[in-house]
Amino acid sequence: MPTVSVSWAGKITTVFRKEMLSEFRTRYAFNAIIMFSLVTLTVVSFSLGINRPGPEVMAALFWIILFFAAASGLAQVFVKEEESHTAGFLRLYAPATAVLIGKIIFNLFLLICMTVLLVPLYIILLDTIPQNFILFTIGLLLGIIGLAGSTTIIAAIVSRASIKGALFAVLSFPVLLPLLVAAIEITLVSFTGGDFAAAGSALQLLLAYDVVMLTLSIMLFDFVWQL
Amino acid sequence: MLKLLIFPAMALVIVMAFVLPSPMNPQISLGPVDAYRIFYFHVPAAWVAALSFVVGMFQSISYLRTKDADYDRKALAANRLGIVFATIFAKMTWGEFWNWSEIREVSLFILLLIYGGYFALRSALNDDDVRASFSAVMTIIFTVSALFLIFVLPRIYPAFSQHPSDTIVDNQGKMSLSPMVAIVFGLSMVTYTALYFWLYDITIRVDRYIYKLKSER
Repeated sequence: MPTVSVSWAGKITTVFRKEMLSEFRTRYAFNAIIMFSLVTLTVVSFSLGINRPGPEVMAALFWIILFFAAASGLAQVFVKEEESHTAGFLRLYAPATAVLIGKIIFNLFLLICMTVLLVPLYIILLDTIPQNFILFTIGLLLGIIGLAGSTTIIAAIVSRASIKGALFAVLSFPVLLPLLVAAIEITLVSFTGGDFAAAGSALQLLLAYDVVMLTLSIMLFDFVWQL
Repeated sequence: MLKLLIFPAMALVIVMAFVLPSPMNPQISLGPVDAYRIFYFHVPAAWVAALSFVVGMFQSISYLRTKDADYDRKALAANRLGIVFATIFAKMTWGEFWNWSEIREVSLFILLLIYGGYFALRSALNDDDVRASFSAVMTIIFTVSALFLIFVLPRIYPAFSQHPSDTIVDNQGKMSLSPMVAIVFGLSMVTYTALYFWLYDITIRVDRYIYKLKSER
């Protein structure tokens, strides 16, 4: 861009602001994620009834709700560019990395909105209070960062395919499996009131996963975006 | 040339697998000792499935670097053969079909899921260049996440494995196979690997002809 002299961070911010604007005109992904998480939570609490399974099951259920709610809406960031044929303009405006980072931040924002709503409802409806709330929050944050970081590039891949929704879940599940296992482990420790040392190796794994996946998607995104 | 060696070697392995005493020490075996003869075939098959995955990743990286469609064909061939060799084992001695604490079984199952996702993606993309690049990118992402599973998960879950762990290497790090068993097992590994590369070569050649026919039309 010879004529436009906007800094790197400026472009990322602009991409993020553009996402926010176009999202809150329709609120498609936002509604999908929020409603999907509410519906899944309701299904889980109804089907459990008055039974309260142990913390292992509760931690797993929490992340299953989160995973499927995320799968319902996160692909939208790139799918909507293809559907409205605006991807070409975005390519002209910003370099690939800025587009990817802006969209990852936007997906992260969506996930944070979802968890802010989901966690209190989960605690109320399922009567499960994390004993170690700081560990719970840190595990949740790391998990969400990994979720947004590794699925945004998959959303870009899926947006050019003919069956988008199903393919997104099929492709992201094997990639997210290490994240799910580590995050469930951390949530379980926080439910039973363990300290940071008890979740040490899972926290390390989750952190390493986040860093590696973010780096990998930034490195590979050029090949997806330039076609 | 390779196939002339593969057939007698494979025949030898099959015969020897039944002639030799079972590789399992009867004192520590859980079930019928003869069932452990599967060792000669299932370890090499699992090894080839994992090898194929690595070959696929290297061909994918080469494709992204050169954009040469031939590398895409090679990656496809590797993944296609990988899904043939990746088989799910349920041994009668375990008494159950599936066990999630069995880390090797789980990682192979995930390998199958990954191959499934790879082919679903390929069939959903129409443009040749887009299909080649996207599936190469996805293969690399899958490989990195599989590395996490294979190397990191067993440390977090020191779950007991139903695979005997001291069959090949014992606690002191020495070979615990008897020399004859070790030779046949090594031959089986080499034969499986050779079989893999032979099939790999054939698959690529067939794909090249299909591509040539299509572009002539």
